[in-house]
Amino acid sequence: MKGVELKGVWFRYPGSKDWALRGVNLEIRQGEVLALVGPNGSGKTTILKLAGGLYRPSRGEIMFWGSNIWEMNGSKRLELRRMVVYVHEKPILLRGSALDNVAFAPILRGVPKEEAVRRAERLLRDSGAANLSGKDREEMSAGEAQVVSILRAVAAGPEILLLDEPTAHLDREKRNILIGLIGRLRSEGRGIAIATHDHLLALRTADKAVIIENGTVESIGDPSEILDCC
Amino acid sequence: MREVLEIVLRSIMVSGTATLLASAWSIALAYLLVRSPRASRPLIPLLEGMVGVPTVLIGLLLYLLLSRQGPLGMLRLLYSPQAIVVGQAVLITPLITSVAYRVLTHSWNMYGELALSLGAAEGQAAKIVIMESLPGVAAAVVMGFSRALGELGVALMVGGNIRGYTRVMTTAIALEVSKGEFELAVSLGAILLFILAMISLTLRFLGRLRE
Repeated sequence: MKGVELKGVWFRYPGSKDWALRGVNLEIRQGEVLALVGPNGSGKTTILKLAGGLYRPSRGEIMFWGSNIWEMNGSKRLELRRMVVYVHEKPILLRGSALDNVAFAPILRGVPKEEAVRRAERLLRDSGAANLSGKDREEMSAGEAQVVSILRAVAAGPEILLLDEPTAHLDREKRNILIGLIGRLRSEGRGIAIATHDHLLALRTADKAVIIENGTVESIGDPSEILDCC
Repeated sequence: MREVLEIVLRSIMVSGTATLLASAWSIALAYLLVRSPRASRPLIPLLEGMVGVPTVLIGLLLYLLLSRQGPLGMLRLLYSPQAIVVGQAVLITPLITSVAYRVLTHSWNMYGELALSLGAAEGQAAKIVIMESLPGVAAAVVMGFSRALGELGVALMVGGNIRGYTRVMTTAIALEVSKGEFELAVSLGAILLFILAMISLTLRFLGRLRE
């Protein structure tokens, strides 16, 4: 399977007695957009963090391109982990400008600084966010910071992008930037999973919708069919 | 006047060295504890409890360790500036570790996970977390220096207050007061107060940087 697969995943946060996820089976494939919808606390963010290799499941397996990520040695796991990038709901920017932040992801992966900056400039320009380039993190609105954090994740060049409530802080203009970006990434063959309360975003961008409730997958299907009922 | 200057410089050198030493292992320990919740659950309350341990108790323990009959007696460190450095470093380790732990935990929750999610290796994530929390970590170090500079018990018990060799500001003040020589004690006290006030201002500045 080209992508990430959660197989019978159970998860409990350290120190908690309650299961956050109970036997979740889910596939996030390349070239496909998946929308995870459900109420607050249903487990959407936990699923994305597990799919990003950030959390280790209490039970079950997280398969990256057919290999169990938690049975790999350090360098192999890092190589696979780099194919998937998770973007937090609350935008977190590092010190510096939007350009510094977007260039940071490729630099982290060993791209020379000049090349990374060139890539970041191009990405900001192509996404219609060139006006943010020189803005410092202290000067950005929440929506601008959200756009920059998503572009930084895209600059990392992942095969699968995991977006946690990406429209939470966005106005219409920035929402359109995001929708355009999702379409472009899908056409490039990348996979995207979006945890969202925004059914309109799910209807406009997703190939499949997954309803999550109480840490389990309630249903999977065509967004226009299963989201109508919610 | 020359003796006062000598004492002040010696105090700064001794406490500064102790702070550097303690910072090296305390920040590393704090980071390891952030990454190992199982170990941090029992250790952090213990370290926090040790922050307030009386300095004379640490001094006594070190005296027993470093005295000729003690297990580390062969090092012949007792009544030397090195003994004070070791003692003060031990004294401030719980303080620096527990403060740095709080700062790094907050930073890890934001930047550590972010770095890993962007594909950082564990070492790269550690570097990012420490860089992003530098003002907070520096504040922990400054607090440690302040505690080391102002303590008396360790310096007196393992340093011995030897004139021109292990006499530092706090031991000199204690000696001068016991002799009834208040003039020198007051000048040294004023200098100590001035240094501590400067440290406090530095902490406030670092606090603002963190915000």
